[in-house]
Amino acid sequence: MKALEVKNIVKQFPNVLANDHISLSIEKGEIFAVVGENGAGKSTLMKIIYGLYTPTSGEIYVFGKKVKIETPEDAIRLKIGMVHQEFMLIPRFTVTENIVLGDEPHRGMIFDYKRAVKEVRELSERFGLKVDPTDKVANIPVGIQQRVEILKILRRGAEILIFDEPTAVLTPEETEDLFKALRRLKAEGKTIIFISHKLKEVMTIADRIAVLRRGKLQGVVEKEKTNEVELARMMVGRNVVLEIPHVEAKIGKTVLSVRDLTVKNKRGIIGLKGVSFDVHSGEIVGIAGVEGNGQAELVNALIGFTRPVKGKIELDGKEIKLLTPYNLRTKGMVYIPEDRKRRGIVLPFRVRENIIMGQHTLYPFSKNGILNDSEINKFATKKLEEFDIRPRNIHVRGGNLSGGNQQKLILAREMSIEHKFLLASQPTRGLDIGAMEFVYKKLVEEKKKGIGVLLISLELSEIMGLSDRILVLYNGEIVGETTPDKTNEEELGLMMLGLKRQERVLQ
Amino acid sequence: MKNVLKRIIFGPKEKEKYWWINVLVPIIAILLALVVGAIFIKLTGRSPIVAYKLLFGTSGLLPGPYWKDHFAEMLLSTSMFVATGLSFAIAAKAGLFFIGAEGDFLVGGITATYFGYAKPFANMPTFIHLTIIFIFVIIMGGIWGAIAGYLKVKKGIHEVISTIMLNWIAVYLIEDWLVIGPMKANVKTGISGTPYVSNTARLPIILHGTRLNISIIIMIIVTYLIWFLLYRTTFGYEIRAMGYTLIYGMEAPKAGGVDIDKRMIQVTFLAGAVAALGGAFIVLGILFQYPPVFGGGYGFDGITVALIGQNEPLGIFLASMFIGGLRTGAAAVQLAHIPKTFPSIIEGITVAFIALQELIRYWLMKAATAKKKSYVKIQGGADE
Repeated sequence: MKALEVKNIVKQFPNVLANDHISLSIEKGEIFAVVGENGAGKSTLMKIIYGLYTPTSGEIYVFGKKVKIETPEDAIRLKIGMVHQEFMLIPRFTVTENIVLGDEPHRGMIFDYKRAVKEVRELSERFGLKVDPTDKVANIPVGIQQRVEILKILRRGAEILIFDEPTAVLTPEETEDLFKALRRLKAEGKTIIFISHKLKEVMTIADRIAVLRRGKLQGVVEKEKTNEVELARMMVGRNVVLEIPHVEAKIGKTVLSVRDLTVKNKRGIIGLKGVSFDVHSGEIVGIAGVEGNGQAELVNALIGFTRPVKGKIELDGKEIKLLTPYNLRTKGMVYIPEDRKRRGIVLPFRVRENIIMGQHTLYPFSKNGILNDSEINKFATKKLEEFDIRPRNIHVRGGNLSGGNQQKLILAREMSIEHKFLLASQPTRGLDIGAMEFVYKKLVEEKKKGIGVLLISLELSEIMGLSDRILVLYNGEIVGETTPDKTNEEELGLMMLGLKRQERVLQ
Repeated sequence: MKNVLKRIIFGPKEKEKYWWINVLVPIIAILLALVVGAIFIKLTGRSPIVAYKLLFGTSGLLPGPYWKDHFAEMLLSTSMFVATGLSFAIAAKAGLFFIGAEGDFLVGGITATYFGYAKPFANMPTFIHLTIIFIFVIIMGGIWGAIAGYLKVKKGIHEVISTIMLNWIAVYLIEDWLVIGPMKANVKTGISGTPYVSNTARLPIILHGTRLNISIIIMIIVTYLIWFLLYRTTFGYEIRAMGYTLIYGMEAPKAGGVDIDKRMIQVTFLAGAVAALGGAFIVLGILFQYPPVFGGGYGFDGITVALIGQNEPLGIFLASMFIGGLRTGAAAVQLAHIPKTFPSIIEGITVAFIALQELIRYWLMKAATAKKKSYVKIQGGADE
């Protein structure tokens, strides 16, 4: 029996055709994965099914009946539930309160908390999703929070469960647990739609896999009859080698020198404690660490967003006394931000406007404060070609580009500014394989050009593959310094969790 | 050469697919407001057709009897609305909700008055005298506006709070002290309020037989300059980037090296200076002195104008003409036994529909895409 069927779904955004005549049919009780690069149209399709977007054209059938889903309420009524990437939970509420919110059991006018707890407990046992109903959501780990989300939609009677990149926020163990839960749900007869761009996971969990590329359905394959390499080829349209080519570092003089840097975080607590390190030209220095161990503070200090409590920063041998973004930029630093939408680009600005941010005051883009549009357009057109940013239209607004293309736009911009030091803060966050490969290639090119690169990343494979030297950040301190050939992911993992420490001597 | 000049003055053409929606939104809002206004009139038993005939017949917007007079009056008030409307819009582009135009307008007025009658200037040729007046008006209005920007940057005080307070400070400082104190006219002359400005400080008339003066020409130039500043300069580029990233704490332009604090103060200076021009116009072109009690309200009307004009310089100019026309025609509607405050109701409803503009846009977009359904299919293989 078909649980969900979509026929010829088209979704046209201004400038972007996000879904191009997509037809899928999903059987009841299967785990159906939808994979594709960022911007391939997976999320758009799911948002259409969940009623967050209305399709430009196309039909949806749920359990054989043609339906019109215009709001999430419609979707819930049709027993479709969605676990979003960002959880919609209230941190101050308990697990139970969060689950029953909007449909609370009550006795007369009074909220019957005891019955609610009992209901949640039963639900949690029935589906094998262990939670403590009385815990405050703020105090439980992300993996459990996700379970709360799942329970919430199960309680509303969901038969079709959509998971939007559910593993993006989970640790490997939590991912294992999630997969166990998904299999259990499948055994209960629920239908699961699993969106991801991590092929390994998809191969572990899915029964059938649909591949999207640039809004078009490339095909639906059964897990047994395919492999990761084939999927990757379908996804990006060519063979992808995620091997990072090793280039010997030609280490030159120091381009960035940080001494005894102490920085407060947003809440006024010291988040980075007396950190010292150097980056030389022609090398990539990787900073490994679990998120929230001082990376944000380090970045904010290096780009001049927060004034350090103490310590000094030298760029290209000169100490920067007044740490403002403008000063640091003009002294040879460029920055690839961790949050492109927030720090990288101005969403309503056109590509041609975005691509000159930071060099807009320089000749030939402007003279005496007046912009030179023909020069800007010429430059933008050239960069779109050079960095393969699609669509090749300099008038598209930044917000209408896909994530990968936004990142390419940022790379194109930052790398065209004259610089000696590149700060790459999680440059591949949320990117698909194709775009990741592109970023890696560009970082290695930078290194070959003799630029000093500081790479801050949460992905160990990235750190191991790209870095010439690795620093491990734990609890605001550098707890180890090593090189990729002297260590392995396990040892790094121990250091990242603060279980192993290395004495280091700064020359 | 001609092309180069054209490019420098107008900039490149950027094709926006549904650009006409932006134009239609205010027009539809105005039409809807007129319809609702008509219903109100009808409900009170009067004839909306007669009322609108009188209103627009004397508004100066449409040719008719005594058109020259109405036209002149309409443009006279237009120039003041443009000043306060642009003031709001410039700051809005930078992400500031700057409602200090009222205070800046008064500061501009009192500054123009003082330099208009003060002795050392009073005997200069008109051109030089006016130039000096306007320089001081711009400086004083700018400083008054920039106080809000400074407070926001240095002390984190929200501009809405500081500008409202600055408005009242301006009112009391001027009306309760300057006008009845240091700047009071000599009692023997029998004038209440400040002395009249000298003849050399009066704005030259450009339409014979009416009050229409050069203020409208100045505002045409200023409107163009503001457009140029916003879209053709790095300054405008930076402040638009700031406005667009307001919800993200302006981090993108900040990371790009834009000095947010400096720009914020500069923008409020500019907003204050432009609004102050309006105050100078009313003193130098209509009142010729600062009266004991100033009508006021132009500052807040500027917000209306900016909203209808969608914060775009040209839109603000057209919206100002519309509001100016309504005000000019207001007196005539009394002939249809309708109070002369009725046009204000139309203004209010227009703003209400502007507030609903997302809905209007949604309808228009739906209409536009319905028409182009076949087009989407042909375009099918478009890139992402």
